[in-house]
Amino acid sequence: MKSTDDKPDRDVDATHERALADGRDLDARFGTLLESVPDAVVLVNEDGVVVLANQQAENLFGYRPGELLWRTVETLLPPRYRNDHAGHRSTFFERPRTRPMGVGLELFGLRSNGTEFPVEISLSPLALGARTLAMAAIRDTSERKTFELALRQKNLELADANRAKDQFLATMSHELRTPLNAILGFTGTLLMGLPGPLNTEQERQLGTVKRNAQHLLALINDILDVVRIEAGKVELHLERVEVQDVVREVESTLRMLAESRGLSFTVALPEPPLVLSTDRRALTQILLNLANNAIKFTDQGGVRISVTREARAGGADAVIAVADTGIGIREADRARLFEAFAQLDEARERLQEGTGLGLHLSARLAELLGGHINLYSEHGAGSVFSLTLPAPA
Amino acid sequence: MPSVLVIEDHPGSLDLMVYLLEHAGCLVHTARDGITGIAAARRHRPTLIVCDLDLPHCDGHGVARTLKDDPALAGVPLVAVTAAARSGDRDAALAAGFDGYFAKPIDPATFVADVTAIRARER
Repeated sequence: MKSTDDKPDRDVDATHERALADGRDLDARFGTLLESVPDAVVLVNEDGVVVLANQQAENLFGYRPGELLWRTVETLLPPRYRNDHAGHRSTFFERPRTRPMGVGLELFGLRSNGTEFPVEISLSPLALGARTLAMAAIRDTSERKTFELALRQKNLELADANRAKDQFLATMSHELRTPLNAILGFTGTLLMGLPGPLNTEQERQLGTVKRNAQHLLALINDILDVVRIEAGKVELHLERVEVQDVVREVESTLRMLAESRGLSFTVALPEPPLVLSTDRRALTQILLNLANNAIKFTDQGGVRISVTREARAGGADAVIAVADTGIGIREADRARLFEAFAQLDEARERLQEGTGLGLHLSARLAELLGGHINLYSEHGAGSVFSLTLPAPA
Repeated sequence: MPSVLVIEDHPGSLDLMVYLLEHAGCLVHTARDGITGIAAARRHRPTLIVCDLDLPHCDGHGVARTLKDDPALAGVPLVAVTAAARSGDRDAALAAGFDGYFAKPIDPATFVADVTAIRARER
């Protein structure tokens, strides 16, 4: 029997009575509900006593049914957190508010067998008459932590693999170009006659060496471009680009080639100048490619580049059309024209100099610039390749 | 007559550049790695240095930083000739101290004129 002036004991008694009352009341009201939620849930009164725990909580912390009741909630924490937790608990009851799951510090739970596990806890106040209880939903995050760890590991591996690929590309590019430097260089010195004059046959054979070495270089460059695009390694430098400028540059680069094949090369440029925000190098590469193809596949007539601005719903487009009067492209061949290494039989028969990657590369670059390439062609009556890019409205 | 130091580890490329420079009347010294290249620059005091970027024992950037830190050699035009061809390579080479940059393959018809036209940048 406890004496009336044994204050601490009487307090303990009162605390226990209160907890018992809370528990009975709550079990009647919330017991069934709490058993149906997926998370472990404990209800704690302001003294820190567990007044209700669902079966999920008992399982999670390794207690038999009813065993969690009347214990202080700190039992469920590793000893190193207990002192601080009692403080947090007082703070919560002074200013009760909901704290959602996943907010706050990394927390750990303690099982009855002494093992720890990472948890996430959400807290919310529960009014019980004039008093307030704390409802804690507890979720074991060990599995998620394991997944997160595995995911982080995987990401690191991927980043490593990506770096290795970049390094491989850079090295391959370097290793392939280096011997070509000597091959092309000395072919050049011989053709220039620096060591002495060549006879006609020597010159012809060296010319073949030079053309093939240049073809190999073009292949290396195109393949590297394709791989860079595939790997998302192409950095676009968007700047104000006057389309007319780029077309004139293409014209000055290719006019000689066209004229040497007896073809005309004309451009039709609108006023005022059409200014885009785009990557100059990529745009130039696409247009050089399209115009170069046009020249290669045209025997008579010529190549014409025209620039127009076309309004569309919600904006405008710049359309740069490269038209030729060449052999045209069969309907059946059009679909695979933009695939890598999709040289049509006609191309093989005519010229061996293409890499088979030019159109593929151009289409991919056009996509990167937010545009596309269309083809209009009639077999035997020429082709029009038109590059459409978004223009300021 | 210009005296040119060529620092290049690939025998074919070295042979080519030496041939072109000598054919144009230059006095040519060579080195096959960065450390030897720096020593050769100090010994021969060339009027032009042509340097590969990917070199054993101290790469081209290291060579550039060392030579441009040396008051006796900082004024000698230093030209990078490299098979690296990534977009940032030129900027990185110029930042390391090179005065000019040419990508391989070089054009044998214009190489000598190209490299001898490079002047040391004011710094």
